Amino acid sequence: MMHGITSSTALWYASRATGVVSLVLLSAVMIIGILVNRQGRLPGLPRFAVLGLHRNLSLLAVTFVALHVITAVADSFVSISLAAAVIPFVSAYEPLWLGLGAVSLDLMAAVIVTSLLRRYIGRRTWRAVHWLAYASWPAAVAHSIGSSKDLQNGPLLGLAVACILGVVGALAWRLARARAEVPRARRVPDLMASQRIPEGHAAGQAPQDRLVRAGRR
Amino acid sequence: MSPTMPLPAMASSVTPGPDAARTWPAQQSPAGGGRLPRLLPPAGQPGSDLAAHLGRHGPVPYRGWSARLIPEVRAAGLTGRGGAAFPVHRKLEAVAAASGRAVVVGNAAEGEPASHKDEALLRLAPHLVLDGLQLAAEAVGAARAVLYVRRDLRASTRLDVQISERERRGLDRVAVEIVSAPTRFLAGEESALASLVSGGMAVPRFTPPRVFERGVDGRPTLVQNVETLAHLALIARYGPGWFRAAGTPDEPGTMLCTLRQADGSVSVVEAAIGAPLAELVGRAGTALLVGGYHGAWIPAAQASRLALSNAALRPLGAFTGAGVLAALPADRCGLVETARVARYLALESAGQCGPCLNGLPRIAEALAELAGLAGRQPGPRVLADLSRWAGLVDGRGACHHPDGTVRFIRSALRVFAAEVGQHERGRCTAGNSPPFLPVPAGPSTDADWS
Repeated sequence: MMHGITSSTALWYASRATGVVSLVLLSAVMIIGILVNRQGRLPGLPRFAVLGLHRNLSLLAVTFVALHVITAVADSFVSISLAAAVIPFVSAYEPLWLGLGAVSLDLMAAVIVTSLLRRYIGRRTWRAVHWLAYASWPAAVAHSIGSSKDLQNGPLLGLAVACILGVVGALAWRLARARAEVPRARRVPDLMASQRIPEGHAAGQAPQDRLVRAGRR
Repeated sequence: MSPTMPLPAMASSVTPGPDAARTWPAQQSPAGGGRLPRLLPPAGQPGSDLAAHLGRHGPVPYRGWSARLIPEVRAAGLTGRGGAAFPVHRKLEAVAAASGRAVVVGNAAEGEPASHKDEALLRLAPHLVLDGLQLAAEAVGAARAVLYVRRDLRASTRLDVQISERERRGLDRVAVEIVSAPTRFLAGEESALASLVSGGMAVPRFTPPRVFERGVDGRPTLVQNVETLAHLALIARYGPGWFRAAGTPDEPGTMLCTLRQADGSVSVVEAAIGAPLAELVGRAGTALLVGGYHGAWIPAAQASRLALSNAALRPLGAFTGAGVLAALPADRCGLVETARVARYLALESAGQCGPCLNGLPRIAEALAELAGLAGRQPGPRVLADLSRWAGLVDGRGACHHPDGTVRFIRSALRVFAAEVGQHERGRCTAGNSPPFLPVPAGPSTDADWS
């Protein structure tokens, strides 16, 4: 095995490191993506910020995934062709585990491209493709653990398990919430309940029913 | 503008309500296309029954072939009178060209609480609307015609009787069915309308597909405001040249306006587009609301120099919309009025998209705080938060509800900047006053959307 970073091993180390960071970032993107719906929110964060975080973390994750793939292909320690990085299961080295990485990468590409083109392709198509994220992430996790000895024991194994638990936990929370969905007519009032706006301008002013009559003849 | 255009352009007016048939004296005006009113019957004449309608306008001028009417509508330059002012011929062309038998819907949802013009039209000239519905159905080759009418309007008009009378006399080529619209602000939004007529809830959906491609029951659907259909029926009879004799070259014709004067009186008038706003609403105390709750406030001093046209209003971020003009009296606070309406608009959200659901309640609350309705001193960051949140919801919903609401609120912050300053120091120029703009109750159960 390797002993220290040298000019000939730098890329290999870089690839492994960016791979681990990618896994953590992708898991975070998944967790936030699962929580981002009209009713989800993270403690201490306004709802807008959750959506922005999902987008920005995705961008960061994609950057690290790109670095991970480029360094793996450029590195000469093991020979991984560019084709093997994008076409599943054609690699000579670890065909199954690298193939899963390629699958994950391709699905990710579909999700990203449709998100960038969302305005043109319509929400329905975008949404259909966006569901592929749920296939991309497990493939990435399997690729990570299967192809990297680093993640198979020690603290990094703990990290991988934490990522998996985080995503599964978020999913469970979301499904539980979906079952107890707020009826349409309650959604906005519930959000405004924290600061109920009085009807009249001051005390003793027009109650609700008077407003209604004024409005509807 | 036609030299024969009468001034004032106000022509006929009704006070909305169950006892609506009162009209103001019509302006004596020269003969020809400039003669107003066009849609509403002249004052003092009964207009709503079929005999009077046929006596005034004659039978429905069917063209005998689909699409024949479309070039005439294009030449007339008719635009939608529901608020968006979309060119009518383009919708007609799109639906006529779409594959599958089309559906035509006359839209009288009139969800805008401050507007009563569709109501006035259905009371005073229902047969013009029904003629227009038939002609539109013929133009796009529709096999089904629907009149989508707000539930309480349907109950208070005699539309069912009038439609069956037309049927009995063989006037209609396509059977007309009435569908009751829920009393929701967004019930008239095209995709919400298509959803309700298809048997669902009147909530907007993401587009595309647009309703002219796939609308009611998945069929290409032409949705036109009832006033637009009435104009269409007149263009089919009297031609594009006649239509253009009123209005401006860019925005020809007349439009119905709901006027809410500073003294609280409400009336519906038919005005030539381009008419001076000062002729329509007397003296606005502080500001004039133009275009309704998705419209914009304009300072009274500026409004008195403007004309009723999108060309004149656009530079001020306003537009004619569905013709709502409300003159805020001097003793009312525009900020308080706006906060009340903003709360209503937030509650009228269909609760579907992030921008509406995450944005509007916060914005409404912040505005209430600023207006002093939240029962506490406005925080130091309220104004900054408001503008930030307004920017975040703009242009991101399935429909234009967040955009329109934000436009309305932004105009208020602009026009009532002085009041904002007062409120920040805990003072309100208006003191205690009852609401001026109508603010109905929001939905209470999901059934309120169907």
